[in-house]
Amino acid sequence: MEIFITLFITGFGLGALYFLVASGLSLIYGLMGVLNFAHGAFLTAGAYATWYFTTSIRADGSLSSYVISLFIAGVVGALFAVATEQILIKYLYDRHIDQALVTVGLGFVATSAYLGWFGSDPLIVLPPTQLYNTVQIGDAFVGIDRFLYIGVAALVLIANFLMMRYTRIGLIIRAGVENRSMVTALGIDVRKAFTFVFFIGGFAAGLGGALATTYASGVGPTLGDAFLIYAFITVVIGGMGSVPGTAIAAIVVGTTQVLVNYYVQGLGDFVVVMLLALVLLVRPQGLLGKVAH
Amino acid sequence: MNLLPGKYRYVPVLAMVFFGVAAFTPILNEPGLQQTFAVAFLFAALALTYDLLLGFTGLLSFGHALYYAAGAYGAAYAMARWDWGIIPAGIFAMVFATLIALFTGATALRVKGIAFAMVTLAFAEAGHVIAVLNMWGLSNGDQTLQLNFDSVPDFFLGVNNTRNLYLLALVTLILIYVAVWWLTQSSMGRVLQALRDNEERVSVLGLKPFNFKLIAFVLAGVMAAFVGVIAVIVTNNANPVMGSTQTTISLLLMVILGGIATRWGAVIGGLIYVVLSQRLTTLDTQGALSGLPEWIGGPMSEPAFILGVIFILVVMFSPGGIAGALYRLRMKFGSSVK
Amino acid sequence: MTKALTLADVNVTIKGSHILQGVNFEVEAGVVTGLLGRNGVGKSTTLRSIVGLVPRVGSIKLFEQEISGLKTHEVIRAGVAFVPEDREIFSTLTVLENLKLAERDKNPDYDTVYNLFPELLKRKSQRAGTLSGGQQQMVAVARALLNKTKLLLVDEPTKGLAPKLVTEVADALEVAAQATTILLVEQNLPLIKRIAKNIIVMDQGVVVHSGVPTELENPEFAKQMLGVSGGSH
Ligand SMILES: Nc1ncnc2c1ncn2[C@@H]1O[C@H](COP(=O)(O)OP(=O)(O)OP(=O)(O)O)[C@@H](O)[C@H]1O
Ligand SMILES: [Mg+2]
Repeated sequence: MEIFITLFITGFGLGALYFLVASGLSLIYGLMGVLNFAHGAFLTAGAYATWYFTTSIRADGSLSSYVISLFIAGVVGALFAVATEQILIKYLYDRHIDQALVTVGLGFVATSAYLGWFGSDPLIVLPPTQLYNTVQIGDAFVGIDRFLYIGVAALVLIANFLMMRYTRIGLIIRAGVENRSMVTALGIDVRKAFTFVFFIGGFAAGLGGALATTYASGVGPTLGDAFLIYAFITVVIGGMGSVPGTAIAAIVVGTTQVLVNYYVQGLGDFVVVMLLALVLLVRPQGLLGKVAH
Repeated sequence: MNLLPGKYRYVPVLAMVFFGVAAFTPILNEPGLQQTFAVAFLFAALALTYDLLLGFTGLLSFGHALYYAAGAYGAAYAMARWDWGIIPAGIFAMVFATLIALFTGATALRVKGIAFAMVTLAFAEAGHVIAVLNMWGLSNGDQTLQLNFDSVPDFFLGVNNTRNLYLLALVTLILIYVAVWWLTQSSMGRVLQALRDNEERVSVLGLKPFNFKLIAFVLAGVMAAFVGVIAVIVTNNANPVMGSTQTTISLLLMVILGGIATRWGAVIGGLIYVVLSQRLTTLDTQGALSGLPEWIGGPMSEPAFILGVIFILVVMFSPGGIAGALYRLRMKFGSSVK
Repeated sequence: MTKALTLADVNVTIKGSHILQGVNFEVEAGVVTGLLGRNGVGKSTTLRSIVGLVPRVGSIKLFEQEISGLKTHEVIRAGVAFVPEDREIFSTLTVLENLKLAERDKNPDYDTVYNLFPELLKRKSQRAGTLSGGQQQMVAVARALLNKTKLLLVDEPTKGLAPKLVTEVADALEVAAQATTILLVEQNLPLIKRIAKNIIVMDQGVVVHSGVPTELENPEFAKQMLGVSGGSH
């Protein structure tokens, strides 16, 4: 039982990281029809920003430096994402396959640029000592960092919900996911919403990258690529364009993966991809999403 | 789409003959270079099989590497663990890959577009995981599954025989080229292209799109498996990278770079991709980039960086890839002469 | 006569089929003009080409302004409102959110909208996807009436509605017509006769006739132009 609790919360924490990557992917796909293969590169950029900040700018190992680095990582991810949209995606408006291809190319370029800049060996990022503590739940001990991932993801989810529900841009995004051309036929320049979803998607991915340095004890050039595949799986299972669906799927994917992997190393990854195939065949639009087109 | 007008039709033939003869002349005599080209030929062949899906059937798969890896591992396993000879091991590998392609294809083809891409990605990732983690002791993991040297004839072994491997890879490329050419010219190939352009119109004729797409999917998979078998001989092992998403993405890059649905575009894309990535590394180790500042020199020394940049430029500014660009040049040139 | 809208040689090709083959017509400012024709002749495509929802070539003038080069949202902001054929309301949004999304003016005219359709006020928090077809049509029309416009494009607003609702929608259009110009695609000929001053008839991607609704009294004309016996209603 103790081991189950530990594994479950660890899986939940991993799911939280998946959610940070997948929420942006899901919105970008839902609104623009772009499958963004460069999203992992946004995450990695955030991770390297954390590494740089906590080793070269404020290397005091304090909690406050860590928190600031989370924010900086988010901003770096967001700027990278906005630049991607403005420089590459925008000019391929409505050429969906080409948009996806360009992001494939960008992911490729970014990974090799990281390799050239930082080398192939993972760079170590030491989290503040407070994060090494454990919390006792019943008889089980769980690393406190797990709760940090879950907390940050929950904040992002709530912020997302408030933004979607109570702001005009949120209204435009919700409407755009359902029927983009009708949004323009109401006189709204939907491309501003495109830039905006890249911004928030990039921010969440950058945050995820910062936290991933703690989860993986460091950052290497392909950190984001590893997360990207499972984030894709999460998005598709949750339903493209549905942030709540993404959140549910992220928990399912994270916990399944960690629990099964504990009993047979690797089988968890295997089970998760089979789960994806299963969901798509039974319910091609995902748990809560619109029909994938 | 066929961008090769009649009078240029013999160019690919000439090119193949050239590459065959060159291996016996000083141009391509060095084993290192021959090995590079052998790998390039295999990737060109693999890119062709991918183009059969992407270009000629309109299926965007992110899991094509799975069948390549299934061929490689199937053969390597039968040779290493059962001591089979290369021919039975190769046949076994292709049957094995056919079964996997049938099952995964029939499942994935129940959905379309991006969902199809994701299901194929998932299946391939599952295969990749098995290979990486050496599940059930099948793959030997990162140690790679080595070629059993007793299973292949001696003239394919050792540095002295690199030229034979080179020729083997070249013949493989030619075989795949002819097979893809024949397939795309056949009446089935025409149905596939009609499917790509307008699925409804084909269903109206009473043909079942699903069946045709599945046949194309399995044929492309079997041909990829065949290339995988040869790759074991040429590179002496089967390794997890063969089945990675990265491999499929590089095939995608090759086909788009060279030009989609043109056959020789995929071949050129594959050759350029492999030769560039190997030679660019050499460029760096020779110090050609040492004059550049670190922030730009670092990435420039990564072949994937330059290839990725070229790829992005091609997608944005030259749809149709190299083949499309040549075609447009010729149109422009042709009309200005008249 | 002031012309609110002028189309000159407008062509639309979608996926290789040439759907509009040189459409020419003028719409008189300040009145309702009916755009008629059999099914599939290109009426909806004509409206969609005006707002730029389909790629179009040719000249489209809104009063003096050339709008054929504008993007959809720019056409709308130039003073056009569009009520599409299939309503296209946002089914996951509430009624009020649907209306809010359509706000462009500083002071959107909710009074007029709620006077015309009190039902919408009552149901403002209901998800639009759960509304009846008629109520959804009210949302679609209301979205267009919130802002001041120079031109209102309405595509078959009474399709599939019960007679009482047809009257309600017609009333709304008549109120709107006091303040703007309307180009109305409609199969309901009595409605056209009631509110339209001019009619334009299309066939096979071109305009074949411009005239007035009284011509529809002639059964021969109605049969020849529209394939219906419009006079006998
Ligand atoms: N997106 C599209 N793709 C292919 N064909 C289209 C498309 N949109 C319209 N068409 C075709 O263009 C023609 C005109 O369509 P349109 O909807 O404009 O007709 P309509 O006059 O509004 O008909 P109705 O009275 O039935 O609404 C039809 O033959 C239709 O099938
Ligand atoms: Mg219509």
